[in-house]
Amino acid sequence: MQSFQQDCVELALRQWRAGKVDRRTLLSGLAALGAASLAPDEALAQAQRQLVMVNWGGLANQGFGNNYGAPFIAANPGWRVTQDSTGPSAGRIRSMVESGRVTWDLCDSSATSAIMLGGMNMLNRMDYSVLKRDDVIGPTFAMEHGAAPYSFSSVLVYDSTKFAQAPTGWADFWDLQKFPGTRLLRRDASGPLEAAQMSLGKDMANLYPLDVRACLARVREIRRNLVFWTGGAESEQFIRTGEAVMGQIWHTRAKVLEQESNGRFKFIWNQGVLQPGIFVSPRGNPGGEMAQKLLASMLANADQQVELLKFLGNGPTNPRAAAAVPEEFRRFNPTDPANARLQVPQDGIWLGANYQRVNADYVDMVTG
Amino acid sequence: MSAAGRTSAGWWLLILPALLLVLVFYIAPILQVLAISVSEPEPGFANYERLWTSEGVQRVILTTLRICTITTALALLLGYAIAYAITLASPRARGWWMLAVLVPLWISVLVRAFAWVTLLRRQGLVNNMLMQWGLISEPLALVWNEFGILVGMVHYMVPFAVLPMLSTMREIDPRLLAAARGLGASRGQVFRSIFLPLSTPGVIAAGVLVFIFSLGFYITPAILGGGKTLMAAEWISLQILDLIRWGLGTMLATVLVLAILVTLIVFSRVVDLRRMFGTGG
Repeated sequence: MQSFQQDCVELALRQWRAGKVDRRTLLSGLAALGAASLAPDEALAQAQRQLVMVNWGGLANQGFGNNYGAPFIAANPGWRVTQDSTGPSAGRIRSMVESGRVTWDLCDSSATSAIMLGGMNMLNRMDYSVLKRDDVIGPTFAMEHGAAPYSFSSVLVYDSTKFAQAPTGWADFWDLQKFPGTRLLRRDASGPLEAAQMSLGKDMANLYPLDVRACLARVREIRRNLVFWTGGAESEQFIRTGEAVMGQIWHTRAKVLEQESNGRFKFIWNQGVLQPGIFVSPRGNPGGEMAQKLLASMLANADQQVELLKFLGNGPTNPRAAAAVPEEFRRFNPTDPANARLQVPQDGIWLGANYQRVNADYVDMVTG
Repeated sequence: MSAAGRTSAGWWLLILPALLLVLVFYIAPILQVLAISVSEPEPGFANYERLWTSEGVQRVILTTLRICTITTALALLLGYAIAYAITLASPRARGWWMLAVLVPLWISVLVRAFAWVTLLRRQGLVNNMLMQWGLISEPLALVWNEFGILVGMVHYMVPFAVLPMLSTMREIDPRLLAAARGLGASRGQVFRSIFLPLSTPGVIAAGVLVFIFSLGFYITPAILGGGKTLMAAEWISLQILDLIRWGLGTMLATVLVLAILVTLIVFSRVVDLRRMFGTGG
């Protein structure tokens, strides 16, 4: 059903195309309707320059737009930031860069993709005279070919009605005697291998390099009691519907489960795998240097990172943010000092360098 | 002779633009992509060597072939029974039958996969009912395994099996069946020595169609397989999108395309492909 506002926008655009009103009138009219984002590119291209930020869809569109885009636009008149939810997989970034027609400026990627694509010379090197290393809490959040304005964690979630005693770490995850029932892991080496390594008792401070062979064998041990997820929504569903009684899922999903089930499903930060939400900039991006400035502003804006935590659950990476998080959200902030202390920061450099081989072996093991 | 040749050349000229369009915008890009399989990571056939050396690659191919073969067999069996019932039904009932076959065809594959999840999961409709009736004490593993994938794929494929078989069966002259009965054959004999042989071309056509279609299945196995079963299409997407091992991904894509072409060539010698895909004549 078309809303009244949409109809107004349609009318305004028709008048502009017919030459009855000029561009300035059109844009101010659309802004008055609260519909500036609906203006056609042709009209805006003349007015402003834009940066395109690419996310994976869902609420990220809104969350990234309001908390990453808006502060930058306010500080840089003449620029706007648009969101695109195509899903910037490593393969898509590569094909775009190789085709020579890059339309993306900043992509919500990962540490492993930053290493892989960076190694193939597909990414802009981060300029740390523009970005500030002091704006992130740790070295894993500021990489050579990407930096992380948010963080997330792969945590242990469980159904508290199924166990008399609460599990406390990955050793319990592997203990099918004490905690019987189906387990849930991601069908990706990033997360499960670290969990396996910790369950084998390796010291968290010296977790890397992982003993891949031992970790894979460890996962294979419980393979018959495992199901695997590939998307966040799927992981939530597996736990909610009782398909699995314990799992390793992203903390954002674990938070939703805990809150919506009134505490039936619980998650623990202990031995969580803390990961950086790395943004990368494809080589030859249309906005050039400005993409780095946008990323720098995303890293520097602690308050907006806190807003994003409240909205989506993404953990802030700015060291000044944790203190600004309201009390009721601290429990769900992966980078809150009390929570971060319990987790292991993922070594994206090691994983990125070994990802193709390790992940192929992991998938082979899972499907074997 | 020469007049006929001229007419035929005229027809060729008419379809030339369409042919060029397909060549330039479809065939050429596909070949370009498939060529990556011999140029990456370095020129040569190293990617194809994996067909013999890599257990992972072999497993994906074998899994795909196994699931597609079972799917085809089950879809043909169910489809044959349905097509047979439709052929023998009254015209009025036939309309309803056709509707029942076609409606699922119009429902999105995604919706159907999720519907099966709702039915088959541990606390799903099927398990709950069986437990209520006291037939089982523990929920059965009906989904997140190959069984779940097969259910979803067979369900998707049955209409594709029914349609070619139905068109063949409807061309069978009912007077032949009546004559055989008149000559003293039992119902079973009529079916075995008249109906079945006459409907075989339809079965083969349906089999080829279903098998080729199944080879490229992506969404159904991804949703119903619980991550443990990897078929060719999902494996290719993993290589291309996540692991950026394009050489390896395009290698399997090439193998898949070749397998489909070979299947078509082999069966074009057995059955009339033009009739099977409904170009008529």
